[in-house]
Amino acid sequence: MEAVKKKGSSVLKKALVVISVLLVVGGGAIWYIFNLKFSDTTKIKADYTVNALDLIHEFEKNDSLSNRKYSEKIIVVNGMVSEVEAADTTVNIKMADSTSGSYIIFAFQQQHLAEAKSIKQGDEVSIKGSCSGGAYSEILETEFITFKRCVINK
Amino acid sequence: MKKTILFFALVAVTGSIFAQKKTTTSGIISFDATTSKDALPKAENKTVIAAIDAKKGTIAFEAIVKNFAFSNPKMQEHFNGATWMDSEKFPTATFKGNITNLASVDFQKDGTYNAEVAGDLTIHGITKPVKTTGKIIVAGKSISTNADFSIKLEDYGVNGPAIGAGKVATEPKISVSADLQ
Repeated sequence: MEAVKKKGSSVLKKALVVISVLLVVGGGAIWYIFNLKFSDTTKIKADYTVNALDLIHEFEKNDSLSNRKYSEKIIVVNGMVSEVEAADTTVNIKMADSTSGSYIIFAFQQQHLAEAKSIKQGDEVSIKGSCSGGAYSEILETEFITFKRCVINK
Repeated sequence: MKKTILFFALVAVTGSIFAQKKTTTSGIISFDATTSKDALPKAENKTVIAAIDAKKGTIAFEAIVKNFAFSNPKMQEHFNGATWMDSEKFPTATFKGNITNLASVDFQKDGTYNAEVAGDLTIHGITKPVKTTGKIIVAGKSISTNADFSIKLEDYGVNGPAIGAGKVATEPKISVSADLQ
């Protein structure tokens, strides 16, 4: 009878240890996931390097296919700045197809806004960022492709 | 001579009509769905297309849902996932509406005006009528606009488990601002 009690107590202790370990590991994993932040884009390897006008034409041709290919991918885009748009404290850079009016717009990572502010219309630049995909704008009647977390690619 | 005058008159009228519509491709929409249990569900989209037609009193916004930038990668993944915005299937969010008190806004005179706006908001493929108030600031040829309002996520078919668990506000606060040229 005593042996059975001891055995039961030992099993209970082991179960408590396993549960405690699981709670610590699980809690740690949750803490890690929810405290994770996006890395600085300068440190991320690009999935694609493209010319701005080629990317615009690819989206104009078939934006569903292009969205599947490029969405949430890190892309380096090379091209000429058609416009620098300031809004409140932020700055976006655009590269446009002057024929169709379709454009790519890059929103910068907070820590890289100063670099974006130094860019001028007409500059040839290389920008790296996370592509959010494109769509046809009913307001502007053009294709627009948006990027987030961008940096000047050096 | 008459033809020349007519030509210039037409150019002037056409120019005036085009000048009524102001647009930007760098409007900002931010949303805050944080709760006491979770401070992460908030994001900002800085590449929103916005347009105001001062003559007709129309106002419109278009945003690519995936361009809402979060600080946390997992939260961004949840936001775009099938139980939230399902942005693969519904890539854009739009608003098309009218300034209902257009007579109270003088687009020809610098100043800050209270605007009442009503229109259709489409999120997650569902369109619902909304009404809100905002500010229109006229400064020379520029128009700035901003508005704060909230929406019920269940109205737009967004009801993932995190909302039920109280980690995401059921009525997130939305802020819209745009400087139109």
